Amino acid sequence: MKVCGIDIGSVATKAVILSAGGEILSKGLCLTGANPKMAAEGLICKILEEAGMRREDLGYIVSTGYGRRSIEFGDKTVTEISCCANGARWIGSNLGEVRTVIDLGGQDMKVISLDENGDIADFVMNDKCAAGTGRFLELMANVLGVNLEDLGALSLRSKNLIEINSTCTVFAESEVISLIAQGKNKEDIIAGLHSSIALRIINLIRQVGEKEVIFFCGGGAKNKGIQKALEDKLGMPVYVPSEPQFVIAIGAALIGKESLKGRQKNE
Amino acid sequence: MMKIERRYKRPALKREKEKVEELFKKATVKNLQLMRDVPSRCPGISYYEEIISQETREKELKEFSGKIVGSFCIFTPEELIYASGAIPVRLCAGFYDTISIAEGVLPRDICPLVKSSFGFKIAGCSFSELCDVAVVPTPCDPKKKMAEILSDYLPVWVLKISHDKDLFYSKELWLREIKIFKEKLENLTGNKITRKRLKEAIQLLHKRQAVFRRFHQIKRNNPQLINGRDTQLIIQSSFYDDIERWTETTEKLCEELKQRRINNDDQRVKLLLTGAPLIWPNFKLFNIIEQMEATVVTDELCSGTRHLYDPVEVDEWSEEGMLRAIANRYLLPSTCPCFIESDDRIDKLLQISQDFKVDGIIHHSLRLCQLYDMELNKVASVLKDKGIPFLSIHTDYSLEDVEQIKTRVEAFLEMIKSRKGKK
Repeated sequence: MKVCGIDIGSVATKAVILSAGGEILSKGLCLTGANPKMAAEGLICKILEEAGMRREDLGYIVSTGYGRRSIEFGDKTVTEISCCANGARWIGSNLGEVRTVIDLGGQDMKVISLDENGDIADFVMNDKCAAGTGRFLELMANVLGVNLEDLGALSLRSKNLIEINSTCTVFAESEVISLIAQGKNKEDIIAGLHSSIALRIINLIRQVGEKEVIFFCGGGAKNKGIQKALEDKLGMPVYVPSEPQFVIAIGAALIGKESLKGRQKNE
Repeated sequence: MMKIERRYKRPALKREKEKVEELFKKATVKNLQLMRDVPSRCPGISYYEEIISQETREKELKEFSGKIVGSFCIFTPEELIYASGAIPVRLCAGFYDTISIAEGVLPRDICPLVKSSFGFKIAGCSFSELCDVAVVPTPCDPKKKMAEILSDYLPVWVLKISHDKDLFYSKELWLREIKIFKEKLENLTGNKITRKRLKEAIQLLHKRQAVFRRFHQIKRNNPQLINGRDTQLIIQSSFYDDIERWTETTEKLCEELKQRRINNDDQRVKLLLTGAPLIWPNFKLFNIIEQMEATVVTDELCSGTRHLYDPVEVDEWSEEGMLRAIANRYLLPSTCPCFIESDDRIDKLLQISQDFKVDGIIHHSLRLCQLYDMELNKVASVLKDKGIPFLSIHTDYSLEDVEQIKTRVEAFLEMIKSRKGKK
């Protein structure tokens, strides 16, 4: 029996189908938009079709993320924190023990500390403002007139990072606008933005204690500039998986696999 | 003790009475509905629901011919107020919709509790309107400065709190404050607080404490008998209820609880709630927690257990002996973060965690309550080192962050359950 994990985030919805053996059979991503239920339904149909499967092939569906309760066809809802920890531990198993997981999402960031057994020992999330999250990056890219995807590469070219003092989306925007007006180099501004995000993340990490291996995921982890800023400031390597946006969905699917086993045992 | 006499006076703001009353009623009804919406709720709560809704009690108090003394915090000695023939009413508020009104006078960046309480006075409604005087202790800066601003509206007496309670002269200073408080009450009411009256008042509160301790003990033996929200409802109705009636009713409730048989499968996660006060109708955090598979089995809140738990312990029933005992009761057991050291609070949290065998602790950080915030790091690290799961929720009176808080609490419960499952 196959299992599906679906992560309905504030910006994007991600879904993964795993085989009983834990192999990824199909996966997909779409924007969540204003109707998380429709986005989720549509995405599952799409990835089923791509893999040539039918709904009946799915033995268990776990939904997670901010919109986890908006779907009606799931077997279980689990928070993105537990799913993220599960996914990171599994994907990072070839790296040794993952002990710190950073997730930089669309509207929040979280840091999870795992104990030696891989269980969650502690976690922290940013407070209710979206400072320094994916939304923040999106806005800054807009102000700077560059693509969100190019931010990372551009910042790596910076030779003279400009300190940005604010991670508050509104204040940072005016700070960036005035830097542009001063004729400052875009690469240096972006490097500064990444550095200020990294500082915010590190403040969270310090609350739970930094322990290696450090695993970095979520849409924000696709940005190489933030990864580098984190490594520079922590003085430790920060590992980013090949598809960081799918970690939580994979974690959800893994929880589904366990739950399915439990259900089959009971039957 | 200071009575504020001002050289510069200004007119009191008055606004939005009807709107505030209506919104308060709405918030009350909404919360009560959420609280009723649980399977096998403890019976006998409707009495407290009526008191917390305020209207009935307001009517009673309006008819009371004696003096009414408004109080802030749990530092105001109720024994003295009763001994003078007056009635105390606690004015600390947890209502979101009076905040913006208060911001007509108070700055934006101070704690919501002070703004909410003060907003009621500007609106000219609720209990603050019935008070002949307000007693404002000075645990924190916003309360201290609110005292002066509040004196635009009614007479204010300030009870000065020293921030190092174990120093002998802090205790002496506090005792002097208490003695002056007694004199002021005598002048206000025209009643002499005799030795006999003082003794009777102490005994009146002893009765209430004894009943509360009994309730507390029943809960300790079987935490699922009554949930955290109903417990808070019971405690917080004592802020303004008729003390004898509350005591009698709660005594009966204890009897009912003892008879109560519930399906005790004990699957729910048992939590201790600590941190900044959560005052009606700000039951957001309680509602979020208890709508999940968890119960707040006990608390370390000045709006909760701490309001009722400690009795005045008199060694010698002389006037001086009783006043000393009263002073000690309000100062020494206090774990308010206004004191420089936080070790007493940590000790207490460890003790309660053990007594109630809690699975975890949730810390309520009220936005802009700096004192609780300042203590958080140390308190959290000591408790985590002892292996107690600990979650801090940083929030205020608004409802905009309910979903985010739900995710954090849910993840915290998942973490606790998965740890328990492996034991």
